[in-house]
Amino acid sequence: MAPLIVPLVKIGLLVFALLTAAAYLVLLERWIAAWVQDRKGPNRVGIPLTSIKLFGLGQPLADGLKFIFKEEYTPAHVDKALYTLAPITILAAALAIFAVIPIGSVLPLDLPGTDGPIKLVVAPGVDVGMIYVFALSSIAVYGVILGGWASNNKYSFLGGLRSSAQLIAYEIPLGLGILGVVISTGSLRLENIIFEQAQSGVWNSFTQPLGLVVFVVASFAEAARLPFDLPECEQELIGGYHTEYSGMRLLLFLIAEFLHMVVAAFLIVILFFGGWHFWGMPVPADDIISWSVAGLRILVLIAKVLAVILFFMLIRWSWPRFRFDQLMNLAWKVMLPLGLVNLMAVAAVVEYQHAREIEDLSTNAWLPVGIGWGVAIVAWIVAALFAPLHTDNRPRLDVLQPPAFEPNSLRSK
Amino acid sequence: MNDVPIVIGSATLLLAAGMWLMLPRGAAAGRSFGTLLVAISLGLFASQVPRLGNWVNDSVFLILAAVAVLSAVATVTFRNPVYSAIWFGLSLLGTAGLFLFQGAQFLGVATIVVYAGAILVTFLFVLMLAQPEGQAFYDRLSWGARLSALTGALVVGVLTLTVVSVFQGPAVEDRPQSPFSKVALDDGILADQHMANLGAQLFSKNLVAVEVAGTLLLVALVGTVAIVAQIHKPAGGRERSHG
Repeated sequence: MAPLIVPLVKIGLLVFALLTAAAYLVLLERWIAAWVQDRKGPNRVGIPLTSIKLFGLGQPLADGLKFIFKEEYTPAHVDKALYTLAPITILAAALAIFAVIPIGSVLPLDLPGTDGPIKLVVAPGVDVGMIYVFALSSIAVYGVILGGWASNNKYSFLGGLRSSAQLIAYEIPLGLGILGVVISTGSLRLENIIFEQAQSGVWNSFTQPLGLVVFVVASFAEAARLPFDLPECEQELIGGYHTEYSGMRLLLFLIAEFLHMVVAAFLIVILFFGGWHFWGMPVPADDIISWSVAGLRILVLIAKVLAVILFFMLIRWSWPRFRFDQLMNLAWKVMLPLGLVNLMAVAAVVEYQHAREIEDLSTNAWLPVGIGWGVAIVAWIVAALFAPLHTDNRPRLDVLQPPAFEPNSLRSK
Repeated sequence: MNDVPIVIGSATLLLAAGMWLMLPRGAAAGRSFGTLLVAISLGLFASQVPRLGNWVNDSVFLILAAVAVLSAVATVTFRNPVYSAIWFGLSLLGTAGLFLFQGAQFLGVATIVVYAGAILVTFLFVLMLAQPEGQAFYDRLSWGARLSALTGALVVGVLTLTVVSVFQGPAVEDRPQSPFSKVALDDGILADQHMANLGAQLFSKNLVAVEVAGTLLLVALVGTVAIVAQIHKPAGGRERSHG
């Protein structure tokens, strides 16, 4: 039974940790929002029935209780089956992504019935890890589309439509950003991608800065975070695709949204910032690792992920939302070409290294880093010159020509 | 063993009749009876499929297969196109699960990425824009229900018969040239370097096919752009006086 118990324990721990983390990330987000807006934020709820406040650390518990005790109202005009299915789909897909995401490397725990150290990933040895992540993040789109459609509400529907267009468009730059890393590593396994960076000590963000930019922007759009939260922008669509949801079903949507951000943060760290690697840490093989190194790796990875999440939350209050045509322009006219340029540069460097038989990247890092930054700067300047980002949100008079008022035209129709 | 073709043949006929009753023909009569017939025939098919010898493997396979086949039936028999699309997605998930169960990791996830992630989302996008409630009655009918039910059932029957007959005789693992032999599996899809092997196969042995498929997609893309560009040709609207 041991081969079955270990994964089950991993799954249980992971789901528990993720749901707790999502709750406390909401608190963190509210703190940061308060800090940015010069407010105090949630700081009252502490231990219940006492006057101990604990900086408001009890807030997630209170929020959860509130969601549980709220009436779960199903409007009469919705499509009942799909209305219920939508939040389940999105949360299930968001949780299932974590099956291939390593949380650290291994634990040197020798249990009877298992072979070797325990790998800190639910499904170790999935050779298509990166495509699996991609596949499940495309399943998550269904939750949004179905929620918008089943609600039978114009605002929800518009949110669903916007989100499907946005997610389809940004999947392409996302894939291009991933491809650059995959080509330079030669593997789709997330564990291998980390190990490759740890061995050479050169993180992929140094050799592929352009890929990093493309991937980060695309993952912001895929997670539907500001400035890309058009599917649910409050000022235009009330709540977008989850306007008609309340109680636990709404909570499922909100948790899934936060989990998407956590996935994006994990992927950014693993693909571009070396995962659990930090300079000065020993990089032993998996089977001779000590407890201290194993624990340190987990801490480093989690610290990096938290830093990226903080970046996500700060961006939220730093950049206004795009208009839809700006969003599409950014995807097709800026990010797609930049991703292609990055891919070509990476392929050229990898091909050169193969031809010259350069194996050890740590001593020959100047070439890929130099080429990467050179290409990034040139491509950035070209993009800025030929496809500038219009951040002027006023109506464009050259496109929008209001028809002249003709008194007879109304009467004749 | 001579009763295998008889069982599969009768299951095929039952499947055709049940599917015909379930298809949207404009009348709701007999739909539940059709569901019963389809269920019986699928049970007959399942009884003929060779067992894998291990109850865990057997149950996983049968559950995935049932999900794939039943949601495929639901895809063609539901009248609301959005529901059909969702059932199709579930059928794809079942198929991807079967691929993963066989060790074909790439095929499994690629099925989800390509079909569920891109094509089906586009379907849903179009269906939602088209507002199925507002469509005409004849748009929600199945055309040629009798023939299509029979064809679908025949395909399932013939495929099942072929698979069952392959698994009779000596075990497939022991045949030297079989793609299911131990050596072929260990060097192929069950190898540790699954993706690397697959890529090497695709870009050496099947390079021409890959290139042709890529060119075909590119041509289709160019054609689409050409059609769209024609539609958006200015039709003299600008010249209208705003007097």
